[in-house]
Amino acid sequence: MNALILVGSPKGRTSASWMLGSKLGEGLRDHGVTVQYGMVHHELRSGEGTGKLLDLVDSSDLVVLSFPLYVDSLPAPLTRLLELVAERRGRTAAAGIPRLAVVVQCGFPEAHQCDTAIGICRRFAGFAGMHWAGDLAMGMGGSLEGDFRRLPGGGKKILEALGKTAEALARGGDIPDEAKAVFARPLMPRWLYTLTGNLGWRLKIRKNKALRPIGYRPYAQD
Amino acid sequence: MKALVLDGCREGDYLAMEAVLEMTTALAGRVDDVEVVKLRELVISPCAGCFGCWTRTPGECVVQDDAATVLRSYLAADVVAYVTPVTFGGYSSQLKMMLDRCIPLLDPRFTIVGGEVHHLLRYRRYPKTIVLGTLPSPDAESERLFASLVARNGFNLHQTMEAEVLVGVPDPPSARQCAERLLDRIGVTA
Repeated sequence: MNALILVGSPKGRTSASWMLGSKLGEGLRDHGVTVQYGMVHHELRSGEGTGKLLDLVDSSDLVVLSFPLYVDSLPAPLTRLLELVAERRGRTAAAGIPRLAVVVQCGFPEAHQCDTAIGICRRFAGFAGMHWAGDLAMGMGGSLEGDFRRLPGGGKKILEALGKTAEALARGGDIPDEAKAVFARPLMPRWLYTLTGNLGWRLKIRKNKALRPIGYRPYAQD
Repeated sequence: MKALVLDGCREGDYLAMEAVLEMTTALAGRVDDVEVVKLRELVISPCAGCFGCWTRTPGECVVQDDAATVLRSYLAADVVAYVTPVTFGGYSSQLKMMLDRCIPLLDPRFTIVGGEVHHLLRYRRYPKTIVLGTLPSPDAESERLFASLVARNGFNLHQTMEAEVLVGVPDPPSARQCAERLLDRIGVTA
């Protein structure tokens, strides 16, 4: 089985999307799946890169989109890639029915804020003639900073969900509901996440030596 | 009163282009000034996800391209209309490229809106926002998703956003009716 993990974050290999997608990729490899990765923002900058990604989608049995929620939806370059894939698969009689799965995280505490983005991916699968293999969605994505061990509980729940997902996808199944539920479980109480988040923004401003206050209004009309 | 139309359609998408035309005409009958921005003709880079607009130069993206000009027009408007082909239930990548770059309009700090966590508003005043989508043929699931997406975007701006979907072949009267209905719903009168 050939799997392609498409990372939809502009931050590429330093992103939470990579952290989750590559961990899933490791799990798939452990089950004998050949895994390749595509960095959507980077590849779509050139015609050559775009063509490469489209070819990879065509030759994969399983495609996983790992991305951050942007404005309740997918980041624009990932949307563009899906437009191109659907156009291409509509034009040519694509061989086989690849499966599509999604791993999405948002910076808000509530995992359900990802639901519309998941719906869009699922609708895309319908247009592109792909089998929908399910989704993992989590909130509090701002906590994912490079190392699962730094997460509350050592990130065990997330790793468990990714492990079960890899196992199911590798044997041709869909993402289990159990993995989905565990993945969506909040990493900490909502009040704590927002408190530390608000503090974190202020600390970053100070660290960056920003010359403006956090609420500065450069385009104010009033 | 000023209006801004964000044209998120591709060249050759006659249904969406018709929707832009009729939305512009409908607005022209009710407001003093209508600006149409053809996003496909601008240079707008994808959001880099660096949060520089929140933590380096608060309120302004660190990338200098046409997005900054659009943001100024956005805040100067009383009404903003997005026009887009409904794409798998979402916006076109063309429109989405600009919307992803609207993050500097918000303040990074969290607050509760509708029982969920969202960001604080950076400005005191935002334009009313309406969205006109187009679909070449009926697709209930895409329409449902589109309505949900627009409603969720409204939470981000702490307002109710209104949406309509124009379905079928280019038909000026139908497109005009959709646009007029949207303007009625947000209370923009001549």
